Amino acid sequence: MTKDKKGFLQKIQSAQTTLNDLKVATFLAIKQVTRSNKWSLFLTISIMSLVFLNIAFIAALMSGMVETMNSQAIDTQFSHIKIEPPENEMFIKNVKSLKNKINHLNGVIGSTAHYKTYTQFTYDKRKDGQDTKIGSWIVSSMSPEEEKKVSIFHNSILAGEYLNKNDRDKILLGKDISGGYTSNFIHESLGGSSGLKIGEKITITYPNGIKREYTIKGIFDTKNLFADAGAFVTEKEMEDMLQVSNQATEILVKTKNINNTAKYIQDFRSIGITKEKINPWTEYTGIITDITESMLMIKILLTGIGLFVSGITIFIIIFIGVINKRKEIGILKAIGMEKHTIVISYLLQALFYALLGIGGGLFILYFILSPYFAIHPLDFPIGLVYLEILTKDVIINSIALIVASIISGFIPAWGVSKKSILDLIWGV
Amino acid sequence: MIKTEKLTRTYGTEELPVLALRGVSIHIKKGEFVGIMGRSGSGKSTLLHQLGLLDTPTSGKLIIDKKNTKEFSNKEKSLFRLKNLGYVFQEYALLPELTSIEAVSLPLMMIGLNSNECKIRATQALEAVELGDRLNHLSYELSGGEQQRVAIARAIVNTPKILFADEPCANLDSESSDVIINLFKKLNKKLGQTIVMVSHEPEDKNEVDRVIWLKDGLLDNQQK
Ligand SMILES: Nc1ncnc2c1ncn2[C@@H]1O[C@H](COP(=O)(O)OP(=O)(O)OP(=O)(O)O)[C@@H](O)[C@H]1O
Ligand SMILES: [Mg+2]
Repeated sequence: MTKDKKGFLQKIQSAQTTLNDLKVATFLAIKQVTRSNKWSLFLTISIMSLVFLNIAFIAALMSGMVETMNSQAIDTQFSHIKIEPPENEMFIKNVKSLKNKINHLNGVIGSTAHYKTYTQFTYDKRKDGQDTKIGSWIVSSMSPEEEKKVSIFHNSILAGEYLNKNDRDKILLGKDISGGYTSNFIHESLGGSSGLKIGEKITITYPNGIKREYTIKGIFDTKNLFADAGAFVTEKEMEDMLQVSNQATEILVKTKNINNTAKYIQDFRSIGITKEKINPWTEYTGIITDITESMLMIKILLTGIGLFVSGITIFIIIFIGVINKRKEIGILKAIGMEKHTIVISYLLQALFYALLGIGGGLFILYFILSPYFAIHPLDFPIGLVYLEILTKDVIINSIALIVASIISGFIPAWGVSKKSILDLIWGV
Repeated sequence: MIKTEKLTRTYGTEELPVLALRGVSIHIKKGEFVGIMGRSGSGKSTLLHQLGLLDTPTSGKLIIDKKNTKEFSNKEKSLFRLKNLGYVFQEYALLPELTSIEAVSLPLMMIGLNSNECKIRATQALEAVELGDRLNHLSYELSGGEQQRVAIARAIVNTPKILFADEPCANLDSESSDVIINLFKKLNKKLGQTIVMVSHEPEDKNEVDRVIWLKDGLLDNQQK
């Protein structure tokens, strides 16, 4: 036989041995798990399930919070794409034809134009000038019908009604201007804890000095505190006050595919919107990114603790297992079993516990918690939060749990298996 | 089958050495049933561990089946033990999660036999130790003597060239002990199994072909 051939045969043989070792290890692992005490097996898997559930729940809750904040920002502030005036200009010009062109583009659901201006609000409670309250807020204009396609204000009316196209001296107030209701800023609001009522009158002073009295038509609550500190009048009304027409401070565009904003922006450029600033919503949500990043630290910390607990659990189980079986392991080695086979049999057990823990945790998450929270979302100050289970998180957390379990199982299994046969059987 | 020359084994530290074996030269032939006897601490177990490749001698020569065991790597030692040597210890140490037939199948699985062959040969081995009716019992469902017989079946299932036993009856009552000793004799006479057994039961010297007497780590030629 040539040397090459011999080497090749040896390789095949050692591959077969490895495979056979794995078979023996699997056999031992299966018997040790299935014939172990049912209660301790149940408890182990329960602990692993709860640990994994804990990790996965935290991840899903945090993703849910980010999701809520993002959709609020989209639904009440920026939509998917925001167009702003060119550098050094107050307004976007020729807004009507621009909107018309945009709305005809493929993938656009709708667009809405706003004038926005800082104003001063005055509320004279007893109409005698003795008890007036003043505050500054931004007032925006809207075309009520086109606005419906882009934002959610029409679905967020707490009291009264949404605006009508032809309304002139009517105003929609955010709950943090009106006060009362569920406002978070009662002291800064005009109406204090009782809040302003529908039909009451307030006066607004525009930057150009014009003063105008408005009747409160509706109060909205979007749960986004940036939006709820705003107010709306109709576009016609605002154009009269500012003495402009066919212009806008911003145009918001809602699209069919939120992940495709770059392409839509290209389309906008190609139909002649060249000088204006155009940005996707993500450009404006830096604060959410900041919050997400600080939550990430909490997430890593809690996940780390969870992995540690699961690691200790596995360590204790495998440790007790191998310590109680020193003699048996010694005899397996005496018979001719190699230590890696013994170690692998314990790693497979650790893997088994980890996999069942992941399975149990995911089962509870998907079939109990997620449906529950879908019906009873968490009512946070930032809005209703649902569990957002991301496949990416599930995969990362599963791998982390498996790795932690295998390492924790390896340490005691290796520590005992590497001892000499005589040490194991006659023990020192 | 086994040949040693001036085999020594020293335990402990350099300052405080324990000379468990101090130069033992023996020769055990194929098909022999040999007893190793001597007082407690005379080095019986130590000698058996060297012969059975469970330990490494400090010096001397050990030839088993014409192979110089000094040249074995750890892996080769494991494989040699698996294929050629069988062991029965004072403690049976059967894995509690395995049935008799599974425990006996394990060495067969380790050499790569398929489950059917394992079953057939494990059953034969258990029948040879008269446990044909206890195949699917877990170890705690068996008496001490029965557990030791499972351990013997496990030791002989690979048809080892040499079977080593270290006080296999120490934990058993005299009745069970007789069963085990008779079993060894039967294996030796019928199958020509080479057996090396450590014992401190004086009457066992009448059961074996030959006794190797030890005293303070040396052969004791005074004993008869
Ligand atoms: N691992 C060890 N470390 C240190 N000394 C040891 C070790 N194993 C055995 N010895 C010593 O070696 C000597 C021989 O021990 P061995 O176990 O071979 O005796 P034995 O003849 O089998 O005795 P017994 O009949 O009590 O089993 C004893 O003095 C013992 O204390
Ligand atoms: Mg001894």
